[in-house]
Amino acid sequence: MMSKRRIDWAIYAAFIVLIMLVPLIMDSFWLNRLAKYLVFGMLGIAVALSWGYAGILNLGQGLFFGAGAYMLAMSLKLASSTSLQQGSDKPVPDFMLWNAEPGAKTELCCINKASFLWLPFQSQWFGVAMGLILPVAIAFVLGSIVFRKRIAGVFVSIITLALVLLVRLVMIDAQPVTNGFNGLTDLGWFKLGGFEFDPYVVPTYYLIAVSLSVVLIAARLLVETRAGVILQAIRDDQNRARYLGFDVPAYQTFFFAVSALIAGFAGMLYVIVSEFASPTFMDLSFSITMVVWAAVGGRASILGACIGAILINMISATVSETEGFAEAWKAIIGLIFVLVVLYMPRGIAGLAHDLIDRFITRRPSTPAPAVRVNDPSSQPAE
Amino acid sequence: MAQAALTIDGLSVDFEGFKAVNGVSMIVEDGELRVLLGANGAGKTTLMDLISGKTKSTGGRVFVHDTEITNWEEHKIARAGIGRKFQIPSVFKELTVRRNLEVASCKNPGVFANLGFGFSAKAKIDEVLELIGLTEEAGQVAAYLSHGQTQWLELGLLITQDPKIILLDEPTAGMTQAETHKTSLIVNNLKGRHTIIVVEHDMAFVREIAERITVLHLGQVLAEGSVAEIENDPKVRAAYLGSKGIT
Ligand SMILES: Nc1ncnc2c1ncn2[C@@H]1O[C@H](COP(=O)(O)OP(=O)(O)OP(=O)(O)O)[C@@H](O)[C@H]1O
Ligand SMILES: [Mg+2]
Repeated sequence: MMSKRRIDWAIYAAFIVLIMLVPLIMDSFWLNRLAKYLVFGMLGIAVALSWGYAGILNLGQGLFFGAGAYMLAMSLKLASSTSLQQGSDKPVPDFMLWNAEPGAKTELCCINKASFLWLPFQSQWFGVAMGLILPVAIAFVLGSIVFRKRIAGVFVSIITLALVLLVRLVMIDAQPVTNGFNGLTDLGWFKLGGFEFDPYVVPTYYLIAVSLSVVLIAARLLVETRAGVILQAIRDDQNRARYLGFDVPAYQTFFFAVSALIAGFAGMLYVIVSEFASPTFMDLSFSITMVVWAAVGGRASILGACIGAILINMISATVSETEGFAEAWKAIIGLIFVLVVLYMPRGIAGLAHDLIDRFITRRPSTPAPAVRVNDPSSQPAE
Repeated sequence: MAQAALTIDGLSVDFEGFKAVNGVSMIVEDGELRVLLGANGAGKTTLMDLISGKTKSTGGRVFVHDTEITNWEEHKIARAGIGRKFQIPSVFKELTVRRNLEVASCKNPGVFANLGFGFSAKAKIDEVLELIGLTEEAGQVAAYLSHGQTQWLELGLLITQDPKIILLDEPTAGMTQAETHKTSLIVNNLKGRHTIIVVEHDMAFVREIAERITVLHLGQVLAEGSVAEIENDPKVRAAYLGSKGIT
């Protein structure tokens, strides 16, 4: 008999093969769209890790996504031709020149009071490094404080929610260095070796698809380690774990930071395929949307949450092309979310697991235990 | 004389003026099974909270062998060798019975030490499953267990954790007579291998397991002695159950 775990991995493999084959049938416009949805799939993984496995409902995941996005976007902005057109041989973002005080020196060091912050971003790899380090650092500091203080459940959600809104305001307010509401646009292309990643070419799609595959497998392996199992135990009963001798906040902080790392990485990839970074990444509605993707796909399944994100976005894109249906679609998504939370707490992945159970045991699977809305309900590592 | 496993010296806690535990001292020897008796609100659970670090004491000291653990963080006290069962059974509900025990078997407290795969205590876990009678349920998710089975699983977590000292807060609460009896068999099996402190109201159960009893009353130690001594102690009779004595 094939074990459930084997079947699980077979499904992961099938998913990866599928996304690798897509370029054979899609034109470049759709390929670019799909690349964006794969990035959202990566966000689904980040949410599943923190919500499904750690029991931490982060309503500010957009903060980490935004941090990753802005860090790389700063580098790509300096690499853009729009930063070199102003008669200077050293790059200065165009929006800084438009807003410069009369007589200010038109160099990155001192065109305005904070523009020197941009200096190291002339190196693309500095942007990449910061795009990974900054989300992890924020998550580490935030997690260390919140989890050491034993703040849990809805209070963590409120804190993360407040934080993403705060940072969004600051970003908009810091117009001279962030270009405020408009965000960073007209970016250059990401370069690797001599290759430039034009968002509409097939190699760019593969950059995203391979990245997603790696994150998917790594996340799945991570939750299967002893630490991953202990994390799930902590999710189920923090105190019990504590009195068995586990340093609970260390586990929560670690996985919170890993989730932030994945979200930050997704933010960078999104900048590569969309060629902009904007404060909308830190809109509350975006962070909540990520939670909906994971809930529908199955928050307690790494692949489920990933597929949930991709599917919802593909359906949205198709539907919103139908005249007059776009607004209704938002309501439908909301309705689906409520129904899933109430009646299908394990999402699409839960449904799939039940089907597999039935298939391999040839008898009805045991019903899922009654679950509370705030609790992850399935145990996919089994 | 046997060595002291747990030494409590003048332990107190003050909840804004109310002393739930007030200068309790006791010495529990290595391998001893001590029963804590006392009426509702006598401070039994609070005493366990103080020993295990759940509540910070406002006076007095606690030692495990020669190590002072007063007011350490809970997980450090656990690592120093104190395991605890709660009054309300708590297990990892979404994990299977075996997974529950695997988690308890893990000897490394930190995250990074646990980034590898697989728990290496299969033989020990099979043995514990046998002892708590959950071998058949090993693959089941803990949420499906009955109340009694959940209590046993929590006992199993403690046995797997293998601490020197085990604190059990009302391990038979809510159990049928048959279940209570089975629990006494499990506890008796642990005797000698661990130092055990049990809070219990059920006198039938106490007689099945007890050696020495400490009676708490209004946060203080009222009496200490064998089952017979305690049952015949007039102070205990007066304080504990009116004039009827312990039944
Ligand atoms: N955190 C707290 N703050 C204030 N009072 C408390 C606190 N914890 C316990 N108490 C009080 O301390 C007293 C002792 O409570 P404790 O739970 O230790 O009793 P117990 O002996 O375990 O009783 P039972 O047999 O009902 O379990 C009670 O009067 C209780 O109300
Ligand atoms: Mg009590």
